[in-house]
Amino acid sequence: MVADGVPGHAGGRLVVALRSEPKTLNPVLAVDEPSRDVIRCLTADLIHINRGSLKTEPSLAKSWTVSRDGRQYTLHLRRGLRFSDGEAFNADDVIFSFQVYLDEKINSSQRDLLVVGGKPIVVVKLDAYTVRFELAQPYAAAERLFDGVAILPRHLVESSYQSGSFSQSWSLSVPPNQFAGLGPFRLKEYIPGQRVVLERNPYYWKADTAGNQLPYLNEIVFLFVASEDAQVIRFQSGDTDVLSRFSAENFAVLQKQQSEKGYRLDDLGPGLEYNFLFFNLNDLSPKGLPEIAKKQAWFQDLRFRQAVSTAIDRDGIVRLVYSGRATPIWDQVTPGNKLWLDDKIPRPVRSLEHARQLLQSAGFSWKSSTLVDPHGEPVEFSILTSSSNAQRMKMATIIQDDLSQLGMTVQVVPLEFHAMVDRLQNSYNYEAAVMGLVSGDADPTSEMNVWLSSGETHLWHPNQDKPATQWESEMDQLMQEQLVTLDYAKRKRIYDRVQEIVAEDLPVICLVSPDILVGAANRMRNFRPAILVPYTLWNVEQLYIQ
Amino acid sequence: MKYLARRLVHATLLLAAVSLFSFAILQLAPGDFFAPMGLNPQISSRTIAGLRSQYGLDRSFPVRYGHWLHDALKGNLGASFAYNSPVAPLLAVRARNTLLLTGTAMLLAWLIAIPLGMWSAVYRGKWGDRAGAVVTSGLLTVPDLVLFLVLLLVAVRTGWFPTGGMVSAVFGDLNVWNRVKDIAEHLFLPALGLAIATLPPLLRHVRSAMIEVLEAPFIRAARAHGITERRVLFRYALPVAANPLISLFGLSVATMLSTSLLVEVILSWPGIGPLLVDAILAKDVYVVIGTVMLSSVFLVLGSLFADLLLFAADPRMRVE
Repeated sequence: MVADGVPGHAGGRLVVALRSEPKTLNPVLAVDEPSRDVIRCLTADLIHINRGSLKTEPSLAKSWTVSRDGRQYTLHLRRGLRFSDGEAFNADDVIFSFQVYLDEKINSSQRDLLVVGGKPIVVVKLDAYTVRFELAQPYAAAERLFDGVAILPRHLVESSYQSGSFSQSWSLSVPPNQFAGLGPFRLKEYIPGQRVVLERNPYYWKADTAGNQLPYLNEIVFLFVASEDAQVIRFQSGDTDVLSRFSAENFAVLQKQQSEKGYRLDDLGPGLEYNFLFFNLNDLSPKGLPEIAKKQAWFQDLRFRQAVSTAIDRDGIVRLVYSGRATPIWDQVTPGNKLWLDDKIPRPVRSLEHARQLLQSAGFSWKSSTLVDPHGEPVEFSILTSSSNAQRMKMATIIQDDLSQLGMTVQVVPLEFHAMVDRLQNSYNYEAAVMGLVSGDADPTSEMNVWLSSGETHLWHPNQDKPATQWESEMDQLMQEQLVTLDYAKRKRIYDRVQEIVAEDLPVICLVSPDILVGAANRMRNFRPAILVPYTLWNVEQLYIQ
Repeated sequence: MKYLARRLVHATLLLAAVSLFSFAILQLAPGDFFAPMGLNPQISSRTIAGLRSQYGLDRSFPVRYGHWLHDALKGNLGASFAYNSPVAPLLAVRARNTLLLTGTAMLLAWLIAIPLGMWSAVYRGKWGDRAGAVVTSGLLTVPDLVLFLVLLLVAVRTGWFPTGGMVSAVFGDLNVWNRVKDIAEHLFLPALGLAIATLPPLLRHVRSAMIEVLEAPFIRAARAHGITERRVLFRYALPVAANPLISLFGLSVATMLSTSLLVEVILSWPGIGPLLVDAILAKDVYVVIGTVMLSSVFLVLGSLFADLLLFAADPRMRVE
């Protein structure tokens, strides 16, 4: 396969710092980002999402056909490919890999993606280089399912799978000769607590436009540097070549020495992360939380939520929390997601006056300067945030201040992340919360569980038996419809309507989407950062050093 | 011998109590390792429940503690959820690195503290002693975090020291002598930082212990006999002043261990610090408990060593 970057030259070593040590090299079990960052360099999938265009492109499958009803995908595999240990690759590896991912006993976090319409995908081998995938229902984003599903070498892992010890296999201490993949690099060495070193895969199957075999780099060294500040310092000193996931403050610090230190910084604009405020709209009767249940009368009133949304100074958040490196948003699709953004969504300016009118029309009034509800109770509630996320804590504080101007008393409650998740998902013991979600993909299917009323991450009121409101019922229908609609333009129209509902009915009050900030040493070429993870190393096979 | 046996019983009880206590505390905190997956729209609760039962998190607290204790007695400290592998080997390599760092730092700290403390005791009240007091109180007020970040900055700006890790990328190609040199270069900054962070209290204690002894009548008598000042200090005063210092040595093991966690995280030293921080944030409970147990063992051994040293140094202890 020919890659489209500028032809470079071979050699050199790339040094990258990870925020923590990867936990495993097993692609079926990896859930943490550092493990996945390393595994992406070692493995390949059948169909890949190009991070530059956010569209699918052939990978191990050189082409595919879709049956007329959209339920059968026939993939034609590339011939003559070899794993990084020199063994040949064919359909048996594909069949085996999907068998492992779909095995319920393995508990792979990727399994749920491969369950369509409640039924696992069925994989059938047609011949040594042709595989058919059968879906229980048509599935609009079916091609995108294959992204990140790394194909395993059957010859190396089948025995451990058969003997039931697959979960323990391919830990970091695996001897390099027991590990193989179809990615541009292969494992060279792991030193616990210090580094993972990858070396060029001599059997890699992509070439550049000049016909040279990829990758260019000889080695990638992943170091483990636990704190963001230490990572920034080491990037600044030239110890590491790439930097991502750092704050706007550090961006400003780095910017000052950009030219003299030989690195460049990029602000890619908004990514796929959307931050939002939401209220507890759960049915609390079985939980016995009378204090919160009483306040739900306010939260359930659309005019109350509209007033809160109108009173929040989104530009203030952009300025104070992100030093301007973020974008205000009014629904869940960020301006970074150009394929799905509905630009007709209104973006009302902040207006305390309008907020007061809304509250008044809902029967609220003011006693001296305190807002009281129709029963004369002062409006007082708390906002949960995760204490490990400094940005969201600041956001909550700004909201607290904005709402105090409406006469509301708001407490900000930073909680340890696990404790916060427990309240949001188990005890429902909270009033409001500030959170963020990073879409796993630009496509709306990755967010099914957020917008379906039966979804487990339908945060404000998860796991509903039947939709509690009219607009949730409409949203359910729309989400199901877009899932099985194969035509992009039609799907776009359907998902536009979902965005409208979010902006109008405000189940979540969307706030801002932070920019993706990255840095790279000047000597690195073909560096094309993207807004979908992995932000920097997605085209690692094409990176070269000047 | 009897004393040693008693100490061993104490130590065992202490370790059992520490394990139960850390287990209970981790249990009390809401949410477990797999809870954050619940916020991932692409993972179902069924998968999460499967993972919980795979790792035994769906069982009751006494059952889990019982299992752990049973396994721990056989040397198996449970499995890490994150690493999908047993805890003991994860800890072993990192503990070695932590010991190297803390051992070096300890040596460095005492090598500085004893002569400097004696010197300021002898010249107490003079400008040198006062300047020393200012510097040590200054160091006491600087948070360790700031101190280590400053060291990191120094390393970056000057380029004299490596900015993290334990060995350089070319370590594999070096001969034995150069490997030792390479580790020493990487060790210098974290060990120095750790020594500086723990130095001030040591220095003050050495000073006050020496002052107390230097004022004793037997020192005056020794001086009156015309014994040289150097001999008075090292042969007569220091051994007597050593008693409280040896006890302090036992205690400083604890300070060292807790401070080393921070220095390891900031300067990327591959010890148990980064592992522990990671495990606490993720609630990888068996790794946390394993690390806590290991630190407790170090602590017990440190104070036992100090007691034995005291036993050897002070005849009065032996009579009891």
